[in-house]
Amino acid sequence: MVAIEVERSSFSYDRKRVLENLSVQVDAGEFFGIIGPNGAGKTTLLKLIAGLLKLSNGNIKLFGESLNNIPIAERAKLLGYVPQENFFYFGFTVLEVVLFGRHPYLKQMERPKKSDIDKAIEALKFTDALELKGRNVLELSSGERQRVVLARALVSEPKILLLDEPTAYLDITHQIEIAKILKKLNQEGITIIFLSHDINLTSLLCNRLLLLSDGKIVACDAPEKIISNEIIRQVYKISPHIVSHPESLKPQIILPS
Amino acid sequence: MQKSKSWFILIILLVIAIILSFGIGPTGFSLSDLTIPLEVRLPRIILGIFAGGVLALVGASLQGLLQNPLVDPYTLGIASGASFGAVIGYMFGRIGVFTVPVFSFLGALVTMFIVYNLALVRSRITKVSLVLAGVIMSFLFSGIVMLLMVLTRKPLTEIIYLLMGRLNVVFTNELLISFIIIFILSAPVMMYLFSKWRSLNILSMNEEVAESLGIDTQKLTRNIFIASSFLIGLVVSFTGAISFIGLCVPHIIRLIYGPDHYKVLPLSFLLGASLLIFTDLVARSIAPIELPLSVITALFGVPFFIYLLKKRL
Repeated sequence: MVAIEVERSSFSYDRKRVLENLSVQVDAGEFFGIIGPNGAGKTTLLKLIAGLLKLSNGNIKLFGESLNNIPIAERAKLLGYVPQENFFYFGFTVLEVVLFGRHPYLKQMERPKKSDIDKAIEALKFTDALELKGRNVLELSSGERQRVVLARALVSEPKILLLDEPTAYLDITHQIEIAKILKKLNQEGITIIFLSHDINLTSLLCNRLLLLSDGKIVACDAPEKIISNEIIRQVYKISPHIVSHPESLKPQIILPS
Repeated sequence: MQKSKSWFILIILLVIAIILSFGIGPTGFSLSDLTIPLEVRLPRIILGIFAGGVLALVGASLQGLLQNPLVDPYTLGIASGASFGAVIGYMFGRIGVFTVPVFSFLGALVTMFIVYNLALVRSRITKVSLVLAGVIMSFLFSGIVMLLMVLTRKPLTEIIYLLMGRLNVVFTNELLISFIIIFILSAPVMMYLFSKWRSLNILSMNEEVAESLGIDTQKLTRNIFIASSFLIGLVVSFTGAISFIGLCVPHIIRLIYGPDHYKVLPLSFLLGASLLIFTDLVARSIAPIELPLSVITALFGVPFFIYLLKKRL
């Protein structure tokens, strides 16, 4: 089953072309990585899929249905979106923040029910953040915050999870922690779109990578096909060493000295 | 339990405010003659509940919507915009009792959208630019109000009350009826603001997250702007512009009861109502002449504002 279908899509901002005539398909259950240099249009693509930006041209379908025809509340149940920057303005508790994710399931004035709270607890357990339940979100460390934000996205029970650099501000311990959670989610059948600058991590996690540069697709294939000296040099203008990961045999890059 | 307790304390506070305001005044209080308390003090108590409650409710809604601790109807210039509208309304005076409230609402609404767009720099709004735009518009409208009132030969005291607030409105029968109708009209608008507690909570995370969770933030912003302008327009058309109630009250409530708008919105209304009645009591008791309300609210409001400026930005 095709989860996401981007058809000849373009996006312009202030008369500047950010994405040009992009076509890509993601199957349900994929762990799909989006990589590319700064300004390649990765975040824009993610926001277009999330319905946060309007396409200038083309069409995006989720499970065969055009994004424009999906009511905003239904879309909210289908997609979980985690932006790169997660600010909190008020000092809500972690549980309260996770419960925000139940919004699409609640009626206008309805308070979260017992069943919603159970789902929130379950989500927190899944992201290994249950002990943070009563904490003030303003006082969380980056690693803790990221697990809470993930739980908030999970509690809406999405079929597709869109993640904008979820490991960007984390040390390697917390990067691996998030990676493990995402793998577990993917095994439960959730399609994951993982945007990152970390080529090595995407190579380890994703079954397929989309390499963007200047708003165009350079390549879209398995990591083994994408992470090659030739392609990396062409896109990033550096010549790294490429080795196989000793366990998974996935390609890993080592920066040139 | 926590919830019922929080309501309880604030309702007691309001009741105390009402009793004190009802009983205290230059002619004192005796059960044998209730003319003054009933005819002079009761109307200003009711007006005080309405005005104080609305100011605080709108302040809380706007602070949540714009994620900005420094905004309220006064700092955003909406109150002065409403005063400006009210003055224009006075000039057309004879059309009907609703002329002033309607013009006041329009003044508030136009100001709100001007301020919002002035603060919008490259499709982003910073906390400071919003307040700056509000202050600028506030100066402009206060100036124009002064000018218009002087040109139309209104007494200076009128101007001061319009720009700084009062509750000593003389209710003629006509005015009383319009007040009652306005009160009824504003009930569903207030209900709308109360009903948006969950959206306001979610907006405190990130506008994009809110959108991704199914909240139409543009529509919400527009609706809350219109609702706020409507309510502030009505209040200002009766009481003039009153400062700081809308700014301080939501902060006090959040400090005590936490940031959940489910509580913050109604509790702000209650505390705003009590505070304004107390303010009015002070304003008419401490000096031989009645002071404009903003004189009193500024005395505790300004230090509070400075504290926020230093601490929260």
